[in-house]
Amino acid sequence: MFGWEFPPHISGGLGTACYGLTKGLALNGVKVTFVMPKASGDEDTSYVKIINGSDVEVDPRTSDYFLHSEQTSYIQVNSKLVPYVGLDDYYNVINQLESGVFPVSGEKRRYVFSGKYGPNLMQEVNQYANIAAEIARNEDFDLIHAHDWLTYRAGIAAKRATGKPLVVHMHATEFDRSGETNYNDIVYGMEKEGMMAADAVCAVSDLTRNIVINKYGIPAEKVFTLHNAVEPNEKKVERQKFVSEKIVTFLGRVTFQKGPDYFVETAKRVLEKDSNVRFVLAGDGDMMPHIIERVAELGISDRFHFTGFLRGDDINKMFGMSDVYVMPSISEPFGISPLEAMRAHVPVVISKQSGVSEVLTHAIKVDFWDIDATADAIYGLLHYPALSKLFAEEGAAEVDNLKWEYVAKKLIKIYEKTIHYE
Amino acid sequence: MNKVCFHFQISQPYRLRTYRFFDINQDHHYFDDYQNQYLTKRLAERCYLPTNKMLLEIIKSNPDQFRCSFSISGSSIMLFKNYCPEVIESFKELIATGCVEITGSTYTHSIASLHGESAFMEQVRLQEELLMETFGVKPISFCNTEIIYSDEIGEWLGNAGYRVILTEGARHILGWKSPTYLYCNPYQTDVKLLLRSYQLCDDITLRFADQGWDQYPLTAEKYMRFLNSIHTESETPFINLFWDYETIGEHYTADTGIFDFFKSLVTALINHENYTFITPKEVLDMDISASTMHAPWPISCSGEEKDTNEWLGNELQQEAFNQLFKLEPLYKKSDNMEAKLSWLRLQAADHFNFMSSKWFGHRFVKRNFEVYSSPYQAFINYMNVLNDVKLQLEAK
Repeated sequence: MFGWEFPPHISGGLGTACYGLTKGLALNGVKVTFVMPKASGDEDTSYVKIINGSDVEVDPRTSDYFLHSEQTSYIQVNSKLVPYVGLDDYYNVINQLESGVFPVSGEKRRYVFSGKYGPNLMQEVNQYANIAAEIARNEDFDLIHAHDWLTYRAGIAAKRATGKPLVVHMHATEFDRSGETNYNDIVYGMEKEGMMAADAVCAVSDLTRNIVINKYGIPAEKVFTLHNAVEPNEKKVERQKFVSEKIVTFLGRVTFQKGPDYFVETAKRVLEKDSNVRFVLAGDGDMMPHIIERVAELGISDRFHFTGFLRGDDINKMFGMSDVYVMPSISEPFGISPLEAMRAHVPVVISKQSGVSEVLTHAIKVDFWDIDATADAIYGLLHYPALSKLFAEEGAAEVDNLKWEYVAKKLIKIYEKTIHYE
Repeated sequence: MNKVCFHFQISQPYRLRTYRFFDINQDHHYFDDYQNQYLTKRLAERCYLPTNKMLLEIIKSNPDQFRCSFSISGSSIMLFKNYCPEVIESFKELIATGCVEITGSTYTHSIASLHGESAFMEQVRLQEELLMETFGVKPISFCNTEIIYSDEIGEWLGNAGYRVILTEGARHILGWKSPTYLYCNPYQTDVKLLLRSYQLCDDITLRFADQGWDQYPLTAEKYMRFLNSIHTESETPFINLFWDYETIGEHYTADTGIFDFFKSLVTALINHENYTFITPKEVLDMDISASTMHAPWPISCSGEEKDTNEWLGNELQQEAFNQLFKLEPLYKKSDNMEAKLSWLRLQAADHFNFMSSKWFGHRFVKRNFEVYSSPYQAFINYMNVLNDVKLQLEAK
C-alpha cells in the first residue's frame, strides 16, 4: 500500500483513513506493507509493516523508463531475440519489454524525501515512484493499493515492475481541492493517469464516484464507492467546559473547500438572536486573514474565537467543550471529522455536499450556502434539549456501527474482483 | 344479512412553512399558504371532486341502496372554504341525498385525546360548531383522529352525547373475538363501537397496486370473494371498511383503475342479496346486542402494532407534545384568536408524524408529501413555531 502520510504526523484526514483501513484489513487477515516517503519511526506498527521511502536504495539501472522519459530518449528495437539465454531468462526479458522496465547502468542511490506538501512535490512524487518499483521487486505481495494522486505514479511503477493488480483510492479529487475552474492540470492528469491504469478505483463516497466517472471519464464498472469509517475512541471524551455559554465549533482546514466563511456568516445570524453562544474556529489555512477580517467587520470578535491547528488530545478536548459541531463544506469527498464529533457525543450539522452525509442518519443536513437553515439548526440544537439529547445518543450509536473492520470487508471484495482478472 | 359500513376520512392539515428561529417574536405567519393551496387544489381535482361525483351518480342510479359516511376535519373544511369552495358544495349535494352521514371528528386532526379530556373536548366542540355552520348537521357518531380510541376517550365522548364510535379492530385488544360483531364501551354500554376490518382495508390501501402481491391485480370480483369468505358466527356481521378518502385518486391515481374498482365493487355489493349498506348512526335503530370491549390503552390504525408510537414514539415527539399542551392554560385565558387557532392546528397528528423516527430508513406508505429531510428538521421547525405561539398567547 502506497500512502503519503500516516498517524501521528498527519496534515488531514488522509493519514487517519490509511491507518483505519490498514487496521481493518489486518483484523480481516490481510497483511499490509505500508510505504510512505518519510516515516518518523513513531508510527503504530501493530497492524502494519511500514517501509520508509527515504531508506530504500534504488538501482537506477532498473528504474522505470517512463519516469525518465522527459530526460532520456530511447530508440527501441522491438525484437525478442536475445543471444545466450535460457528459458527463464528469456521470459524475464519478455516481461521487461511488456512492463517497460529497462536496465540502465549506474550507481545505487537513495532519495531524500520531505514527505510534506512542499515546493518540490512533483519531484518527490516521481522519485517516490522510482523507489516504489524497487520495493515492489523485493517484497512479496498480491496487490498494490495507492492512496491519492501523490502515490499513483508509485502504484503504476509497482504494477509495471510486477504485473500485479493496482487499486487506486480517491480520497479527494482535484475539483474538491480547487473548485470547478481553478484546478491544476498536472494534478488532474496524474489522477486520471492513475485511475486509467488501475484495475479498480475506490471512491470515498457516491459523490466522489460520480465525479470520477463524469469528470475523469473512468469506466463506471471499475469504480466502487467505499465509505470511510472512524476508529472507536480509546478513552471516553470528557465533557468539560470552562465557560457558561454554549459552544459551536468548526474544525478543519481554513480553506475555500471547507466553507469557513459560511461558518462566520452563520455565527452572525445566531448571535443576532442569542448572545449566549460562543463560536470556535479550530484550524488554519489560506483563508485565515480573510476570515479574521470578516469577523472583525461583523463586530462579533468577542464571541468568535480562533484556536489555530489542533491535533490529538486537543481535538478531543475541543469536542468535550462543544455543544454543536458544524461542517459547512462546499465540497467534501467524505469528511471524517463529523464522525469524530458524534463519537464524542456532539450533535453535528453537516452540508449536503459532503460524502459523509450519505452514511449518516442522525445528523442535520443543510445546503452549505443556506446560512439561514444552518443557523436555525444550530439554534434548535442549543435551545431544544430533547433534540440534542436524542442526537448525542443516537449519533454515538450510529458511529459505533461505522467500523473500519466492515469497510475492510468491502474492500477485500473489491480486491478479489481485481485478483480474479489475472 | 351482512352490513357493510363504508367510512371515508379526510384530514388535510395546515402545513407549516419553514419558520426560522429569527422569525420568533417577529413574524406570526406560520403556515405555508402556497403549499396548502396547491395541495388542496390538487387533491380536489384528483380525488374529492371526481370521487364525490362518482358517489353521487351511484346514489342517484340506485335510490336508497348505497350508503356511506365521512369524517372531515375542521382544517380540511377551512382549506376547502379558502381554496376550493366547490368541494363544500359537492359534499352538500351528497348530504342532501340522505344517504351520506357526516360523523364527528376533531377540529384540526388533533391528537389531543392522548393528552386529556378538556383539550380533546374543546376540539370536539369546535368541530361540532363548524359542522353545524357549514353543513347544518349535528353528529351522533364519532371518528377520532387516526381512529384513536380507549375506554376513557369513549367515556368522554359518551358524556358529550355521542352514541357510536369508529375505531380499529386491533388484534391485541380483541384477542379471539372478531371485529364483525357490535361492541360497546364497558363503562357506558349505550356507546356502541364499530371496529375496522383492517386487513380488508389494507388489501386496497396498501396492496391495490402492489405487483408483488399474489392477489394482484385486485378486481371487484376478487374482493367480493374476500368478503364472502369472512368467517364469522354472527348472524348479522358488520364489515366496517374505513379508509382515507385520498386512497381514491391520490394515493392511487385514476390510471391505476381505482375509480372503476370502487364503482364495480359498490355495484356488486348492491346487487348481492346478502349485503346491505349502513352508516354508523343506523346501528342505533337496530336491535342488536353488543358485547363490551376493553381498551385500557389507546389504540389506533397505525402500523402493525395499532398503538400510538407513530406520534409519540420518540423523545422528540414526546417533548413537542408536552410543550404543546403546557400551553393549554394560556390558550384558555388568551383573547388572541389567531394564536389560539395556531395552537389548535399545531395539535395535528401530521406534525408529529414528520418527527417520527419509526420510519428512519423506510419510506412510509402514507406519507405523500416529504416536507422535511429528517425528523430533526421537522422538530426544530415545529418548536420554533410553538415558541412564537407561546409568546403570542402570553402577550394577551
